[in-house]
Amino acid sequence: MSERELTFTQAINEALAEELERDPDVFLMGEDVGGFGGVFGVTQGLQDKFGERRVFDTPLSETLIVGAAVGAAITGLRPVAELQYSDFVGIAMDEMYNKAAKWKFMHGGRLDVPMVVRAPEGAKGGAGAEHSQSPGGLFQSAFGMYVLMPTNPADAKGLLKSAIRDDNPVLFLEHKALYSKKGLVPDGEHLVPIGVAATPRQGSDVTVVAWGSLVPRSLQAAEVLAEEGIDVEVIDPRGIRPLDLPTILASVERTGRLVLVHEAPGAGGPGAEVAAVVAEQMLDVLEAPILRVTTPDTYFPQSVHLERMMLPGASDVADAVRRVMA
Amino acid sequence: MSTIDDVGLAMYHQMQRSQAAEQWVLRLIDGGEALVLYHSARGQEAVAAGSIGPLERSDYMFYVHRGVGQLLAKGVDPVELFGDILANTAGSTGGLGAGIVHVVDPSVGVLGQSGTVGGTFPLAAGAGLSAKYRESGQVVLCMFGDGTANRGTFHEAANAAGVWKLPVVWLCENNGYAVSIPQSASTPVADLATRAAGYGMPGVIVDGQDAIAVYEAVDAAVQRARRGDGPTFIEAKTVRFRGHFEGDPQHYRGGRPESVERDPIVILGKRLIEAGLATEQTLQEMAQQADDEMRAAVEEARLAPMPERTRLFEGILA
Repeated sequence: MSERELTFTQAINEALAEELERDPDVFLMGEDVGGFGGVFGVTQGLQDKFGERRVFDTPLSETLIVGAAVGAAITGLRPVAELQYSDFVGIAMDEMYNKAAKWKFMHGGRLDVPMVVRAPEGAKGGAGAEHSQSPGGLFQSAFGMYVLMPTNPADAKGLLKSAIRDDNPVLFLEHKALYSKKGLVPDGEHLVPIGVAATPRQGSDVTVVAWGSLVPRSLQAAEVLAEEGIDVEVIDPRGIRPLDLPTILASVERTGRLVLVHEAPGAGGPGAEVAAVVAEQMLDVLEAPILRVTTPDTYFPQSVHLERMMLPGASDVADAVRRVMA
Repeated sequence: MSTIDDVGLAMYHQMQRSQAAEQWVLRLIDGGEALVLYHSARGQEAVAAGSIGPLERSDYMFYVHRGVGQLLAKGVDPVELFGDILANTAGSTGGLGAGIVHVVDPSVGVLGQSGTVGGTFPLAAGAGLSAKYRESGQVVLCMFGDGTANRGTFHEAANAAGVWKLPVVWLCENNGYAVSIPQSASTPVADLATRAAGYGMPGVIVDGQDAIAVYEAVDAAVQRARRGDGPTFIEAKTVRFRGHFEGDPQHYRGGRPESVERDPIVILGKRLIEAGLATEQTLQEMAQQADDEMRAAVEEARLAPMPERTRLFEGILA
């Protein structure tokens, strides 16, 4: 199959355009997603192409955006709502955690909630404590919802298309630092199944499970470590829920060593649950303690200078791997 | 034809069904068969009957947690309702024991209810958006109390409904109390309907003890919504005869409401007799008929088994 090079942003835009084209029940709404094209330019050109009925701006009302998506989803549509920043899940937490995720269960399974909330996450450029977070871990116990985190353009496109077609609510987290990254995306219909981890690098010494923007940095670290004779396997779970535990556990079974890497803080972050499950199920195979590489237990400042000191880099991942190999 | 000629008897029937069902719920609670927290609708039956009357079966409703009259009037099967009260598998939720909070029947437009009050405002706007998007002609009735009117979610949902001219009827059942807090202590205006102006929609105040008045106000709002002219805020001033929940000592209002004499069922009954549409005897027969229906529904619902533990894990994901 032939491929093209696209940015992460272009890949998401293509996914949205293709699904709008395919299914008249799909529509996009959010703050500035219409003529403006989204504050990160992700929905650029879509209102021109599909009109104001299918792609429209909302008032500055995040509880409405998420709650109205639930209301539209339970009445037969497939809304794709944008939260301008993923931090705003805090504004719409009741709508995300208690409505989108639970409506089907609470009502006897009789109403599906096929909706996607797209939300840019992560630190980039000094946006501060309320516009830089990676909040996926807050939804570990949102059992009726998926949380997806693509890490390259091909997955961004394929996962988003799968999310829009899925009958469950999906929180789709797009890391802002990835928007401009380029990658090859297969031509034609490209779907990535939900709940299947990717293994972008196979290795036999250490299992590194990385989320979001830390996947590319973990792969960089693996290159450096290869020169030192350490063979690293990098697993990208592509999200937090559903979690492909079989792939992770099988890898740890082979390597006996586990490093968990993400931009969210360690406490309550995506790695915490994986560490707990591995400790519960396979402590006997571990040859070293599980290590986590995350942002520290504080908040992102506005200062770009200090923000850089918050973010784990490839060297931090490499150091952690060396420690579990020691 | 006047409203009372047209729908007076039908509304009286629904009000008697509401009252009969409630009495059966209370019996099930008193007898220890139902372990639910129940919020009585006594005194507020005219709001349910009057507001559901103008709706089509396909219209949507987000109900309030007070009473069961709206659910029955919209078409929920009483067997399913009592199954939810008994928490057995006859319930609309298949054994989750919804009580009166999460009763659901999409086939009659009952889309469920938020356990966090005010949580349905944005969903109602979304259902209205959906109806408009699909050009289905459906209207959304969103019911709530005077306490819930103070949730911030109302502001976001009402604003969106106003700017997008969504087919939503916001029906505030103002019984004067948010659990124990009188409206005057929580709300700086006496008439909540005045808030409608801020959202570019009409605000209508109606006597909530008068089913005919409620019907006419909601009917006008439904027609307006169906024409594409947007939402309406209706404030039905009503009275909660019993406590917030069964067992509420009601110290905050001396144990009894101020105006139980304005019983909406009695008021409509008198008007039906005055209009020559009923006699004392036919009204009594309607009450008996409602009780018979609910007794039969309770008996049928009682036959269903309780769910197994596996039920806990069903219906979480599609």
